Amino acid sequence: MPAIIETHNLTKRYGALAAVNELSLQVDEGAIYGFVGPNGAGKTTTMRMLTTLLQPTSGQAFVSGCSITRDPRGVRRAIGYMPDFFGVYDDMKVWEYLDFFAACYEIPEATRAGLINDLLELVDLSHRRDDMVDTLSRGMKQRLCLARTLAHDPRVLILDEPASGLDPRARIEIRELLLELSRMGKTIFFSTHILADVAEICTQVGIIEAGRLVAQGSLADMQRRLRPHRRLHITLLGHLPEAHAALVARPGVMEVRQTVVNGEPRPDEAAEAVGQVGADGPASAKTLEVDFTGDDAAVSALLRELVGRGLPVLRFTESVHDLEDVFMHATQGIVS
Amino acid sequence: MTTEAIGETPAQPAGPARGLRGLLTRNPVVLKELRGRMRGPRAFIVLTAYLLLMSAFVTLLYAIYVASTNSVYNGASSQVVGKFVFGAVVGIELLLVCFIAPAFTAAAISGERERQTYDLLRTTLLTASALVFGKLASALSYILLLLIAAFPLQSLAFLLGGVSPQEVIIATLLLVATAYLFGTSGVFFSSLMRRTLGSTVLTYAFALLATLGLPLVLIALLPLTSMLFNNAPPGPALETILIYGVGFLIASNPIATAVVTEVLLVTEQTAFYFPLPISNGVTLPLVSPWAPFLLFCLVAGTLMTIASILAVRRAET
Repeated sequence: MPAIIETHNLTKRYGALAAVNELSLQVDEGAIYGFVGPNGAGKTTTMRMLTTLLQPTSGQAFVSGCSITRDPRGVRRAIGYMPDFFGVYDDMKVWEYLDFFAACYEIPEATRAGLINDLLELVDLSHRRDDMVDTLSRGMKQRLCLARTLAHDPRVLILDEPASGLDPRARIEIRELLLELSRMGKTIFFSTHILADVAEICTQVGIIEAGRLVAQGSLADMQRRLRPHRRLHITLLGHLPEAHAALVARPGVMEVRQTVVNGEPRPDEAAEAVGQVGADGPASAKTLEVDFTGDDAAVSALLRELVGRGLPVLRFTESVHDLEDVFMHATQGIVS
Repeated sequence: MTTEAIGETPAQPAGPARGLRGLLTRNPVVLKELRGRMRGPRAFIVLTAYLLLMSAFVTLLYAIYVASTNSVYNGASSQVVGKFVFGAVVGIELLLVCFIAPAFTAAAISGERERQTYDLLRTTLLTASALVFGKLASALSYILLLLIAAFPLQSLAFLLGGVSPQEVIIATLLLVATAYLFGTSGVFFSSLMRRTLGSTVLTYAFALLATLGLPLVLIALLPLTSMLFNNAPPGPALETILIYGVGFLIASNPIATAVVTEVLLVTEQTAFYFPLPISNGVTLPLVSPWAPFLLFCLVAGTLMTIASILAVRRAET
C-alpha cells in the first residue's frame, strides 16, 4: 500500500534538546495510525511539523506527495488538522463556524449551505445548528472541530489527542466517528495515550519515546516482534503434574507456570489438587500458562498430545497480548 | 453523510463575488469579524452612546460660544461658530480614531493565538494576506461607520456657514488616513507579539508617540533653538533644513497636521502650495501638511501591513 505520510529523519531541535529525533515513519493510505507515546515524547511536535505549522530543523516529510517545507499549501489542501488544544470563536453560531472555515478552504458560497448540513449530520450536531458555539459541551465542540477539518474533503486527518478530556460516552462517539471516516476512505493519523483506543481501532501503530520512533507496524506485527513467543492458557480439570510433564517435554515449550482460574496462583492448593480429578467441577479447575514458540500447526499438535494422553482439558486458549504489554516493552519510561 | 456527498463539493476557489456585499464577504475573515461585531445590541448601543455624547458635546460648545459672544445671528459671527463647531467635531473624531483604531486591531492576530484558533486558521488555505487584510478591513469599516454616523453632526456647521467643502474633504481624508495608520500599527504589533497585552502596550505607545510625541519634541527643542540662534541668526541653508525638518515633523502628526492645515487655510487661503520667504530673500516652496501626511500614512501603513503579512506567513521555527 502506498504511504500517504512519510517522514525521513525528521528532526526538531530546541537548543540542545531534540524534541523529535530522526523520526522516520510511514502511514499507509487508508490506515488508522495510532501515534502513541508518553507525554513529552514529541507527538505534538511531529504533528505540528506535518501540518506545516513548525519548520523542521532537519529531515523531510511528505504528506500526500507534497513536501511540508516546499509545498505547504499542497499539504494544507490534503490535510484536516485538529490540535490537542483548540479554541472556538464564542461569538459565532455553529453553522457560521463551519461556514467560516469552509470559506477559508475556498469552498464556493453556493455549495457551502449543503455542505454544512451534511457535516453537521455526520457529527450529529444538526439540532444545534443555530446555537452559539460557546453553549456546546466539550464533546460537541470536539465533534464540531472534527467537522471543520472535513470541510474541504481532505485525504488525511491529523488529530492530536482527539479523545483527551472527554467523558467515556463522548470518547466512544469520537471513536465511532473515526471508524466511519475511515470507511469513507480517509487516512487517520492520530496521537493518543489511551491504549484501549489504539487497540480497538488502529490498523497501524507507531510508538514514540523521547523523540524517537521505537516501534512501528501493525499491532499484530508489533506483538510478534516485541514478544516473540506465544502464550497459551490451558485449563484442566486435574492431572496437573502429568500435564506439566507432558508439556515440558514438547519442543518449543519455553516455560510452564501454574495459575488458578479467577484468582492468584496458589501453590499450596495446587499440591492438594493433584489426584482429585474434577472432584468439584470447573471451580477447582487449574490453568497452566505456557510460553511457546511455534506456528499454528505446532499449537494444534500440542493440544492433540494433551487430549491423546487422556488429560481432562477444559479450555485451551491463546492470550492476545494487549497493547499495554507491547507498550511497556517498547518504551523505557524515558521522557526527553 | 456519504462519501459521495462530500466528494461532490468542488474545491475550486470562489468565483468573483459581485457588489459591495461580494466585496465584503469574499474574504471569510471580514465576514466573520463583521458578523461578530454587529451581533446583538452591543454594536448599536455603542453607536448610539457615541452619537449622544458627541451631540451633547457639540450642544455644550455651541451654548458656551453663544453665551460668551451673545451675538449669534450676526452673519460674520455665525460663520465663526460654524468653524468652531466643525473644528470641535473633527477634533473629537480625530482623538477617537487615535484611540479606537488601536483598540480594534491590537488583538487582531495575537488574539487568535491566545484563543488557540491561530493554528486552525494557518492550516487552512486562508492566505496570510487574506487574514491580515480581513482583520484590517473589518476594523476600519467599523471606524468608518462611526465617522459616517457623525456626518450629520459635522453638517450642523453648514447651517451656520463658514466651512468650505475643501475643509470637509480634507478633514475626512485626514480622519481616514489616521485610522489607516493606527489600524495597521495595531495589526502589525499583534502579528509580532505573542500576547495581546504586549501588542496593546506597543500599539498605544506608538499612537501616543505619533500624537503627543511631536509637541514634546518641540517643547524640548525650543530652548535649544533659542540658545543656538540667540546671537547670530541661522544661515539660509540651516534655515531651510530647519523649516523642512519641522514641516516633516508636523506632517507626521495628525493633530499638528489638522491644526496647521486649518491655520494655512485661514491665513494663506490655500490648501495646497504656498511660498515662504526666508531671511536671504529666497522663497521656499511648501505644501500644506495634509498632503505629505496622507502620503506618510499610506507609506507607513502599507509597510506595516506588508510586515504583518510576512510575520503571519512565516512558519514557526
